[in-house]
Amino acid sequence: MSDPTVATVPPSGAPRPRYKRKLSNYLLDKKLQLRYVLLVTVLSGVIAGALGYLIYQQKRAASESIEKDLAALTMLDDSQEDFQQHVASGLASEDRALVYKMIGVGVGLVVILSLYLLVMTHKVAGPLYKVSMYFDRMAAGRLGVVTPLRQGDMLQDFYANFKEMHEAVRARASADADALELAVARLREAKNRADYRGEAQSQLDEALDQLAQHVAERKKNLS
Amino acid sequence: MTSPRPPAGGDRAYKRSWKNLLINKRYQLRFTLFMVGLSTLLICGLGVWVMRVADETTAVSMASVRGTPCPRIPVLTEVAVEPPAEPEPAVPMRLAEPGDPPPPPEAPAGDTANEDGEPDEPASDGDGESASEGADEAPRRITVQIDESSMMMMPVAPKVPEDFATRVVAHWTCELRLDAKIDRLERGRMTILWVLIATGLLLVVGLALYGLKMTHRVAGPLFKVSLYLAKMRDGRFDKVWNLRKGDQLVEFYEHFRTAHAGVVQMEKDDIARIEAVIAAAEAAGAGDLPTVQELRDLLVRKEKSIE
Repeated sequence: MSDPTVATVPPSGAPRPRYKRKLSNYLLDKKLQLRYVLLVTVLSGVIAGALGYLIYQQKRAASESIEKDLAALTMLDDSQEDFQQHVASGLASEDRALVYKMIGVGVGLVVILSLYLLVMTHKVAGPLYKVSMYFDRMAAGRLGVVTPLRQGDMLQDFYANFKEMHEAVRARASADADALELAVARLREAKNRADYRGEAQSQLDEALDQLAQHVAERKKNLS
Repeated sequence: MTSPRPPAGGDRAYKRSWKNLLINKRYQLRFTLFMVGLSTLLICGLGVWVMRVADETTAVSMASVRGTPCPRIPVLTEVAVEPPAEPEPAVPMRLAEPGDPPPPPEAPAGDTANEDGEPDEPASDGDGESASEGADEAPRRITVQIDESSMMMMPVAPKVPEDFATRVVAHWTCELRLDAKIDRLERGRMTILWVLIATGLLLVVGLALYGLKMTHRVAGPLFKVSLYLAKMRDGRFDKVWNLRKGDQLVEFYEHFRTAHAGVVQMEKDDIARIEAVIAAAEAAGAGDLPTVQELRDLLVRKEKSIE
């Protein structure tokens, strides 16, 4: 599975590559997506199956009624037996065709519905997946630039909130890093002018070095 | 999504409330309405099909029922005509002329005259005896009696078969049975219609509620994360609590917690470094420098943010 946040690091000078949907990536959050897909598909299947059975039952009852009446009409005339059988087999084949037609429609409905729902739930799972990737980067202290969602994605409001938070934290961290960098520079300058005692000076030097290293690392993670 | 990390937050009991069911209208309504709309469409489409076939079946069954033969009521116009024993000679009709003696009273056969030679009262008498009583004894043919200026026609009662009542009862029993069958067929058709409508309504209402509840289990964690995101945006990194029981997006929430913990750790690292610099500066006698004071302010802000 590719990382949608990778696209946030464009090669120098080149435009950021568009992250496109791939068939293999459609099932991003199996639990979330399959739950909804299965619920709707099974429900539709049950409705279609139950009503389909009702249709078949009614149709079969009509056919049986016709067959019974025809049998009663032709009971006394043996020459009509072939005609009766012909009509009966015609009705039976019509009923069978109805069953096949309903099964075909039902299977088609389930397949189309499943695919459509997979795409629909992907539009929710996609943004969540992308945000999860950014969360993982934040956990490692990396606060890069957040790119917008793809066209058609859902949870735009939530993503906007996330982006706003990410940018605020990033801006604050960047400002803090600048402030700390400035503080290190000023304290070093003051140290050179002042007459600090030996051990204290070495401790201050060490602390400033560590802070400078920390700020440099932070700035690197913010880029 | 990657595997979740162990939870770090505590557990705070938030209960679900019906008032808060719709917390992300766009997402929740979209999924719920899709589900409800699809079910409605399916029920309506297939329901119309079911009703068409049911109408067809009812019509065929009704025609079949109507075609069922019932025993007929015997016709009462049939009269058993018995040939007379010997033909009576034709009597020429003669009109009375002036001067002729009055004709002697004729004594016709049967009970057309009583013992006094007077003609019987026609059809019914004052005692309410019906003509059929006399008809049993009279010859079964129309008798025309012309008596001077009056003419009397005596109706002949039809012959009632012995099993007449049984056959009438059988006929109407059959007719009523067929009517009941037709009524039952019509009621069956209406039952299908009402069952379809009731099932459809129940399904739609049930699905709408279930859909909202189901999507709420996704929207809930998103709402909670959104609240934390707003706090983080304002520089407040409060403790992250666990999700409610039954909530979805558990893995996503764990990702958020690790991110939150990561940002808190950044702040803690900053605090540790700043504290070290302030302590070293104070030890060196540079604690009064404005830069150190700025560092103290920054430290206070950062410490406050992770409280």
